[in-house]
Amino acid sequence: MKKLTFVQVIDKLNEFWSRQGCVIVQPLDTEVGAGTFHPATFFRSLDKDPWKAAYVQPSRRPTDGRYADNPLRMQYYYQYQVLIKPSPRDIKKIYLDSLKALGIDVKGHEVRFVEDDWESPTLGASGLGWEVWLDSLEITQFTYFQQVGGKELDLISCEITYGLERICMFIQNKFNVFDLDWQHGVKYGDMHIRHETEYSKYNFEEAGIDMHLKMFESFEKEALVLLDKDLAYPAYSFVLKASHAFNILDARGAVSQSERPRYIGRVRTLAKKCAELYLGNR
Amino acid sequence: MKDTRDFLLEIATEDMPAGYVRPALKDLEQSFSKGLEASGIGKFSPVSFGTKNLLICYIKGLPVAPEASSKEIVGPPKRIAFDKDNNPTKQAIGFAKNQGVETGDLKVKKTSKGEYMVIQKKEQGRTAKELLQEKIPDIIKGIRFPKTMRWDDSGLKFARPIESVLALFGKERLNIKIGNVPQKKVAPLFPSQYLKKLKKTCMIDWKKRKKKIKDKILKAVKGIGEKAIDENLLGEVTFMVDSPEVFVGEFDKKFLDLPGGVLKASMAKHQRIFPVSKNGRLINKFIAVVDGKKRKNNKVRKNYEKILEAKLKDSLFFLNEDTKNPLSDNILQLKDLIFHKGLGSMFEKIERLKKLCSFICDKSGESSLKTDIERAAELSKIDLVTHMVGEFPSLQGVMGGEYALRSGENKNVATAVREHYLPQGADDGLPQSKAGAILAISDKIDNVVGFSGMGVGMEKIKISGSLDPFGTRRNAFGIIRIIKDKSFRLNLDELIEKGIELYGVKIKVDTVKFRNQIVDYVKDRIDFLMGDVRPLELKKAVLKSGSFDVADIFKRQEALVGIKEERYFLEAAKVVERTGNILKGAKKEKIGEVEEGLFKEGPERLVWDAYLNSKNKIQDLIKKEKYDEATREYAGAFYEVLHDFFGKVLVNTEDGPLRLNRLAMMKAINALYTERVADLALLPQIVVK
Repeated sequence: MKKLTFVQVIDKLNEFWSRQGCVIVQPLDTEVGAGTFHPATFFRSLDKDPWKAAYVQPSRRPTDGRYADNPLRMQYYYQYQVLIKPSPRDIKKIYLDSLKALGIDVKGHEVRFVEDDWESPTLGASGLGWEVWLDSLEITQFTYFQQVGGKELDLISCEITYGLERICMFIQNKFNVFDLDWQHGVKYGDMHIRHETEYSKYNFEEAGIDMHLKMFESFEKEALVLLDKDLAYPAYSFVLKASHAFNILDARGAVSQSERPRYIGRVRTLAKKCAELYLGNR
Repeated sequence: MKDTRDFLLEIATEDMPAGYVRPALKDLEQSFSKGLEASGIGKFSPVSFGTKNLLICYIKGLPVAPEASSKEIVGPPKRIAFDKDNNPTKQAIGFAKNQGVETGDLKVKKTSKGEYMVIQKKEQGRTAKELLQEKIPDIIKGIRFPKTMRWDDSGLKFARPIESVLALFGKERLNIKIGNVPQKKVAPLFPSQYLKKLKKTCMIDWKKRKKKIKDKILKAVKGIGEKAIDENLLGEVTFMVDSPEVFVGEFDKKFLDLPGGVLKASMAKHQRIFPVSKNGRLINKFIAVVDGKKRKNNKVRKNYEKILEAKLKDSLFFLNEDTKNPLSDNILQLKDLIFHKGLGSMFEKIERLKKLCSFICDKSGESSLKTDIERAAELSKIDLVTHMVGEFPSLQGVMGGEYALRSGENKNVATAVREHYLPQGADDGLPQSKAGAILAISDKIDNVVGFSGMGVGMEKIKISGSLDPFGTRRNAFGIIRIIKDKSFRLNLDELIEKGIELYGVKIKVDTVKFRNQIVDYVKDRIDFLMGDVRPLELKKAVLKSGSFDVADIFKRQEALVGIKEERYFLEAAKVVERTGNILKGAKKEKIGEVEEGLFKEGPERLVWDAYLNSKNKIQDLIKKEKYDEATREYAGAFYEVLHDFFGKVLVNTEDGPLRLNRLAMMKAINALYTERVADLALLPQIVVK
């Protein structure tokens, strides 16, 4: 089998999951830490209506920056997110089939489902499931949502989040993310090294602390105003902005250990209000 | 022969957390044996098997048809069941009516509590099939897990989604209704055949599986390193693979620059692989366990190796970041790190620890260590704000010690920082260095006092027994074990009081009352650590005397246990008992000093002379902690002479002053031993043969 490029892996997954009945959604255009933050997951997992979606979500985790010096960690990377509600009985098998569709021999590699209680304190979300390990590398987060936006869910969604770079490493047998073939003739590194180095420097050393502190306050205020006007989507986008501002402050070392939970709590309060508004409970 | 069938229940689930399976199997076994016994089917010993995906319970030879059983029902006592004319009373009539029989059917039965009315009731038992079918859903729902989840709209909760259930009674498949879970469809097989077939696909017996992994690892290590296996990791991996295979992998030697603790923690946490050491040092090899022969191949091995190196590279990044500046540069960050809500910051904690350490140094005669220990206390918690401990919380202390050394702190300081969380559990090692031991004691006293002072630690433990949410019990045990091990001469009363004082206004309690509460709590732990001493009362006797000097408590216990069969020990005990008994009768009176002028009869003089002659010698022996000799001396001085005294002299005479004087004498003799050695009057049945 020909080794898939990064872009081909995305194509294959789109193909696979759309055959499973998923709507192929486009990435959110706001900075987020994970695919879970996309409204296609956060809002759509809340209600009792069936929903199936799959999409790529570029994700930013400022503290994970390593100046493009680490083969596995980056502050900007791509998740492939699948959300299915209700969760099909054979979802684990479907997931393994998706790996096969990518050309991964699941019987010839050590595939493990390792216990993981997933939690997103900023979104008031939690669930139970696994990290999926392929030859001891975490390639997927597999979660049955139990709670989102502080609300116990009536209908359980299954969230599958692939780490695209890591899966590509296996497929292409290259253990440095920057060596991956993005497309034929174009390396992942060509696309990202400068971006990664500069952003690592920005997040850790240069980001304006005062500005981000002010932004956090402003975003929070704006979200509250919009919530009062019953505008769930716009309000939520400011929750995400506030969350990202906090992440930058965190990477800059501008948030002390005792302040941390308070910032997270403030974002969570907003996220809960958005969830309530979305469900029309206000 | 009764008609019997074997029974099997199989719950197939998506991968359960490794730690969940063993307790779940135990729950299953117990529920079945209890259920079968309670419903009269009989006593059976279920056998269980388990993997990450299967919980299986197998019971051999359940009777198909139940026996009609006769059940005895006990009613009111005979004395209230009939009146004096021997007519049944309301109670008897009511009992008979409730049970659907005539009063004439009631019989009398003698029990240990007296005579009672009973009836014998024949009961047609229920068939095992009916019973199993009815009970199994509740048994499944009754399995306890640390966390459960929902996965479909039935609302059923379990550790992970249940894929199917199968209950075989003989060849018959029972109909089990639970949530939306489907029943597994299998060809008609007997339970034993089903198990046999299953065993061909994977090892369902976890004990065998565990042993197989261990054997394979030991075999793989042979020739390249030492035999040492992390049992926790082994236990976990046992429930991650069904058909274990192992291979040896390698990594670049440059990563051996990382502290050993980091290498081990990274391997265990990120990849669940086993480190290999040689001559006590880690080497650049590891052992991985995989599931099935197909997965034991070069490609998988190479992947494990590359991933390990990538992870270790991240650890190197943390190490470099953490060591850019000396450890002590980060000390102010502790002001932002909460020790516990209501108990202030970690910075405040280390301030208290410094003072408590200094106090202990003075009290235990280790003043020369003071400078080092205070420095260690100051540095002890800084590793909590490092990257490495953020990534591997289990390395707290270990990293602190490592970073202290790299920051140029002296070895005593670094060792003390490294050791001060020890012991982490009942089987864990103790701090080796004196400095580490003193810092460890301080840290634990500060924890016990703080968490108890919030009014949660101590009370919760008292109520629940098994819970130890704030580690109070673990800390208390730790304190005692360390003091005993190092033979520090410390009075715990003082130490605990100091610990309370250092919290200042953070703990609003009556200091003396609170101190005594903690002291009692710690004493109970000492009692436990003293082990299985017979008679049990000997421990109480030792704990009742002397100051709360832990090392001395163990010393006295040891001495007395060694001589408890000796005649002189029993004589000493008799002296303590008799003088103690006399004093019990005089609790309210004020007993003063002995006045020799009041002596009236000869034996009084003799007893008092015995006291005056032996007092100094006995006290001296006690002071030198020669408790064996002190006991011998005490018995020799008083046993005979007191025996004579009690035969001839009445202590409790009508003459008040005379009586008080005699009591004063008894008190002096009693106290000579009980104040410092042991209150042997607590022993049961002291007989001098």
